[in-house]
Amino acid sequence: MIFQKPSSDIALEKNIEKEPINSSQSSVDDSVDTVVGPSVNVEGDFSSAGNIIIKGSVSGSVNTSKHLLAEEGSKIMANIQAGSATISGMVKGSVKVKDTLIITSTAKILGDIRVKTLQVDAGAVIQGKIIMSMPSELTEKSTSSRSSFKKREKKI
Amino acid sequence: MYVYLYDNFLSNKKFDAIIKSMEVRLTDYGIAGKILRLNNFIDVKPLIDDEIKRGATTIVIVGNDKTFGNVLSRSATCKVTFGFLPVGPGNTISDVLGIPINLESCDVLSRRLRERLDVGWVNNRYFVSQLHVLPSKIEVEYDEKFRVKSKNELEIVVCNLQPFFWKTDKKDRNQVQVNPKDGKLEAFLRPAKKKGWFGKYVYEQASVFPFEEMIIRSDKAFEIEADGKKTKEKKIKIKLAPSRIDMIVGRERKF
Repeated sequence: MIFQKPSSDIALEKNIEKEPINSSQSSVDDSVDTVVGPSVNVEGDFSSAGNIIIKGSVSGSVNTSKHLLAEEGSKIMANIQAGSATISGMVKGSVKVKDTLIITSTAKILGDIRVKTLQVDAGAVIQGKIIMSMPSELTEKSTSSRSSFKKREKKI
Repeated sequence: MYVYLYDNFLSNKKFDAIIKSMEVRLTDYGIAGKILRLNNFIDVKPLIDDEIKRGATTIVIVGNDKTFGNVLSRSATCKVTFGFLPVGPGNTISDVLGIPINLESCDVLSRRLRERLDVGWVNNRYFVSQLHVLPSKIEVEYDEKFRVKSKNELEIVVCNLQPFFWKTDKKDRNQVQVNPKDGKLEAFLRPAKKKGWFGKYVYEQASVFPFEEMIIRSDKAFEIEADGKKTKEKKIKIKLAPSRIDMIVGRERKF
């Protein structure tokens, strides 16, 4: 028994076990966040597919479909487009956020904001227009009511 | 047919027992093959090409991270499946690939669970694990879109396979795990400033940029180290070569 060969089952397992491993691991999101350090300057069209954390300064444009976090002390001289964002630093430029924008007490935003949901802490400075897009349900209801009104008009 | 490339350090007597037991295990599995011993004067690429012509289907690297980098940086273009049997100290890549060290690695090899891995490309040669640019006054351009500058000197580490972290203090256990299948390379930058009588570097907080193409320029030549090979360059272009290597990996892999 001591000199027994290692079982050949191990070598034959490959076909059976490959599929469940791949399916379970494909769901894991292990993308690395983009981080701009405090003493680094970024110039140009700064875009990333993942989350962005800004601690330093950025000029040009910032673009991400996921979350943008501008920490206290960060300087962004750029137009921002993001899925969601938390701003604690200074921003000079327009801010377009698809979902939720959180502006903390240390934030200074000089530019227009277009957002769906906005949260502003006391002490934050905003100079510019704020345009909040209507929630999808409300816009759908309003369009449906308009169409029904038009149908009634036609009947008359 | 399997071909095993043994690193030079394995000829040391202290590895005799483990190598013998591994060879017995491989014979039991029926995957024993030709053994070639590497040394500093052997060019791996023509050696592997010759073995492929003779019918080799799997090239197995036996050694540590250094062996892995040395072999794959020269033979990434070879159309063959690669395996890895990590032996001895200096093995961090094996953990990412899910291959246990020493004898148990033979089990992983016998299972033949394969994945295609990305490889980095720098100035006409491949690098597999890591590229290190030592602190120097440089400018970095990413994907021809944006530039990164710093007042101080910059140190850069580009990672593909090897896990990487810069410790902020002794207790810091933060570690960024990189994925060799995500279609991106990860660049870790940190500004460095010389201070004190002996010009010791003081480092600032690091930045992280995932990228596909990066150009590093400088007026003065700067030192780079790719998979253990040191050179001096004035301009380097780093690119991603996606899904280049067909590799046998373990179930416990980190990607």
